[in-house]
Amino acid sequence: MFYRRSGIRHTRYQSERQLFPLGFDRFLILSVLAVLLAAPFLFDRLYVTGYLLPWLIWSSAALGLNLLMGGAGQVHLGYGAVMAMGAYGSVHLMRFGAPLELAMIAGGLISASVGIIFGAAALRVKGIYLAMATLAMQSIVDFVISQTPAISGGALATLQAPPARFLGISLSGERETYYFALLVCAVITLFMLNVRRTSFGRALAAIREKDYAAEILGISTLRYKLMAFWVSSFIGGVVGSVLAICYLRAVSPDQFHLDLSIQILAMVIVGGLGSVLGPFFGAALVLFAPILINNALGSAFSTFGMTVPIDLRAHLPLVAYGALVIGFLLYEPYGLAKIYSNVRTYLLVWPFRHAQR
Amino acid sequence: MKMTRRTFVASAAAGIAAPTICTTGAFAQEKVVRISAPQDFTRIYTFVTSEYSQGQRDYFTLINERGGVGGYKLVIDVSDHANDLPRAIEAYERGKREGAVAIDPLSTPVARALVPRALEDKINLITAYSGRSDAADGSVFPYVLPLSINYWSQAGLIVEQFKRIEKGSLQGKKLAFVHIDTPFGKEPLPILEVLAKREGFTLNAFPYTPPGNDQSAIWPQVRRARPDFTVFWGAAVGQTVALSEAIRNGLPMDRVSSSVWLSESDMDVVGRAAAKGVMKIEPCVGGREPKIIKDILAEVVGKGKGAGPEAKVGTGYYNYGVQMASLIAEGVRMAAQKAPNGPVTGPWLNAGLTAIKNFTAEGLLPPTTITPDDHQGGGMGRVAQWDGNKFVPITDWFTANQDVVWDEIRKYSAEFKKSGK
Amino acid sequence: MIDWILLAELGVNGIFIGMMYSLISLGLVLIYKTSGIVNLAQGAIAMTAGYVAWALATVSGLPVLVVAPIAMAVMFGFGLMIERIALRRMIGHPVLMTIMLTLGLEIFLRGLLPGVFGAAVKRLDLGIPQAPLFVGELLLNRATLTGGVIALVLLLASIWFFGSRQGVVMRAVADDQTASWSVGIRVERAIAIAWGMSAMAATAAGILWGATQGVDWSLSLLLIKGLAIAILGGLDSIRGVLFAGVIVGVAESLATGLLDPIVGGGTRDVIASVIILGTLLLKPHGLFGEAHIERV
Repeated sequence: MFYRRSGIRHTRYQSERQLFPLGFDRFLILSVLAVLLAAPFLFDRLYVTGYLLPWLIWSSAALGLNLLMGGAGQVHLGYGAVMAMGAYGSVHLMRFGAPLELAMIAGGLISASVGIIFGAAALRVKGIYLAMATLAMQSIVDFVISQTPAISGGALATLQAPPARFLGISLSGERETYYFALLVCAVITLFMLNVRRTSFGRALAAIREKDYAAEILGISTLRYKLMAFWVSSFIGGVVGSVLAICYLRAVSPDQFHLDLSIQILAMVIVGGLGSVLGPFFGAALVLFAPILINNALGSAFSTFGMTVPIDLRAHLPLVAYGALVIGFLLYEPYGLAKIYSNVRTYLLVWPFRHAQR
Repeated sequence: MKMTRRTFVASAAAGIAAPTICTTGAFAQEKVVRISAPQDFTRIYTFVTSEYSQGQRDYFTLINERGGVGGYKLVIDVSDHANDLPRAIEAYERGKREGAVAIDPLSTPVARALVPRALEDKINLITAYSGRSDAADGSVFPYVLPLSINYWSQAGLIVEQFKRIEKGSLQGKKLAFVHIDTPFGKEPLPILEVLAKREGFTLNAFPYTPPGNDQSAIWPQVRRARPDFTVFWGAAVGQTVALSEAIRNGLPMDRVSSSVWLSESDMDVVGRAAAKGVMKIEPCVGGREPKIIKDILAEVVGKGKGAGPEAKVGTGYYNYGVQMASLIAEGVRMAAQKAPNGPVTGPWLNAGLTAIKNFTAEGLLPPTTITPDDHQGGGMGRVAQWDGNKFVPITDWFTANQDVVWDEIRKYSAEFKKSGK
Repeated sequence: MIDWILLAELGVNGIFIGMMYSLISLGLVLIYKTSGIVNLAQGAIAMTAGYVAWALATVSGLPVLVVAPIAMAVMFGFGLMIERIALRRMIGHPVLMTIMLTLGLEIFLRGLLPGVFGAAVKRLDLGIPQAPLFVGELLLNRATLTGGVIALVLLLASIWFFGSRQGVVMRAVADDQTASWSVGIRVERAIAIAWGMSAMAATAAGILWGATQGVDWSLSLLLIKGLAIAILGGLDSIRGVLFAGVIVGVAESLATGLLDPIVGGGTRDVIASVIILGTLLLKPHGLFGEAHIERV
């Protein structure tokens, strides 16, 4: 009914192989994109800088991690450290006067070159052991950053991000930063949508399913595992610099601790491993569930005139957030994207359920 | 099974779609000054936040019950940001939209991220006992107001107190500085180094890893260094562990001091009797003696309008909250004096806050003067000693080594200015 | 130039601290051994136990040592409950999701308990005197000494347990779940008991650490140290926990004494990380762990 699949006949390979073969999907994507483009003019500043901007940035980061975890099946608990290197690299370069475009790429390259060391651990161990190895690397990177005044920026350990210009446009207002983050996010999303259709993406999928089997098929696991870490860390570094410049505006070591890694990991898993849509759902849930629950509780308590001890009231969002993570994993381990795709599959042929393949 | 799944999804959806805008309409008709207080109740600052916030809210209730200040009622929106930047920034933007003219995040990382925003938006960012120490320089940070003695001043006060104990000279003495290995813990180091040179004492720094629940390998070294004085610098669990390790290693308690972060409940954890003699910095009077606290007990808590358990009224951190609230209220009073009809904006309140002069909140605070240049309020504090039951002040309000402190403040604020924001 | 007495003191205290940490690792190993899951909520379970013990002691007015067995019983039930409600339903799903589930559990518990009991630090008094205890020129820390000895006893008890009938059952499950099933072993029950026992180990850790640092959410941070020890010893070896606990404890303690002055920072935690990383790269299955042969 909504998707109107009947009558769509692809007469050329090209049209069947396009990213979104169904007209309705294209329509959906374009309308979401249109809303995002118009957002700074439609919504209040609260929603643009308080919600949409962090959503775009965290989604981009989760996409980068998802390439590694969902795409290549490599667990990574140290993505926050990868982003930290990008953020610090680019902010330092900009303080030396490098333009943003260059600093961003350089930040990505720094992250990628250190991130590939994380990947070296993946050659040796996997699964739960790899998770522990990356966890250890996260804290080593944290240590190095906070113990090196040259990196962290002296006694106050805060580095202000200098004013940035992107392609001649100053990124000082909230609209400019929003569009910049949107652009970066769009580029990363496009890359992710297409990467699965390349030989690189397929090699990663083979490694994800079984690395020994992939090796036997002639895929160099050494090369592709390292490449997966390289690409994913590059994206992490770029997103880290966007995060520092557009959103945090000042970097300090505690912003990139294990908490950030776990937050992004939760986004990927709750959103849906290996799906491109998943990180967007996951980021929205992980970032905003506590805020919304907090606000909803606040208004509920004040309208019903309940007096709840402040400690309990403050901790309830955390409880609810934990319960949501557990609940979603128990209910649908493949994440929100899977729930969406279930709904979509149902609606594809609705109301003619028997026509389902 | 099917039903439960469905109800689960439905309830989850309901939770997400629940109304997000919450404003209290109670004061809609009156002139209000709105203060946003997103604070960390759940993550790092748990040890202080609930008492601090209770004090703040009780004081604002007291003021509003008495008819407000300068014709204005004070509204405080408390929420939890869990030390998480997206949540804090959302709370900041929300507060701004609802017309808040001041924001009190009580968290150093959050304050750091909000500084450029507050400067741009001209919203008063209260960074009591948190945030950048160099924010005391009002000429660079017009809208960032610590309103309290920063860590550099606290270190200066402690050294001065030791000097008094030693009858005026620290020449040849040894000072051990045991600190949490974070930017916050390392902050006093430059001041102590300068003072070590000036006063002629040797400084040994012993960093411990955060959060400091295990310091067993640090304190034997401290003991063996045989310091004449020991300063421990941390927060939350690090403080109680440091203090109990100091006791176990047999350091003389009356030569051990900490910053403002030592409270009665810490003493409960360590053991009230064992910790006798330890010193801390008091930025305001503790206990229930000050008139304001008595008023709160009578007019707010006595009438069942208290924001939390009565037992917490008058604890150290509770009084810090009252201190901040009274300074904000005084700022509103001054602002209303200057421009009685508002409009209530950030600059309006800022003009009031920076005009506070010799304010003592009826004996709760040291005389505090905030000027457009000095946002610290004079750097006055006093040293209090634990007598096994409560903290007893052993000095008057005093200030010391402010020249060194201000050198450092100017150094970093100049750096901030140079970075172009 | 080297201060040998200081080193000896650090070493001795390090051993006991390491033993106290290894209680967390014991819980991790019990669960990993039977079900192949690394329980990242182990620290939070220890925190829960700390709160439970505190609440029991406060409500009943009895000393902590008296309520400790009750707390252990409660926590045993709690461990069974976690396994039954959450983990059992995840059987057959990728390992990543079970990791995330335990992380979700960690978040949940870290919100629930401070929310219910209040976030301020709670005092848990075991009645160990604070006065310094000197042996020659060495100062022994009474609290860690007691804690270490209790931990050692519990570790030895669990090694003994694995020789008992139920222990043999659990070893069989650890070895091969399907094969155990076919000879009539109730695999789910063995896993559930492992969870219960691991929660009991966490209770001991929660109470001992709660007594040294006070009970608040930061007890959940013990996880990282527990992980380092468990990985160094081998995730499926209880004997390994014992040795690795000593090694990690001493290494951290000595690093604090020798490296900190050179680096000018707290190296303690980074040592744990270096140990994890070094073990994984050099000997992935730890000192005593079994290497699994993977087949395509």
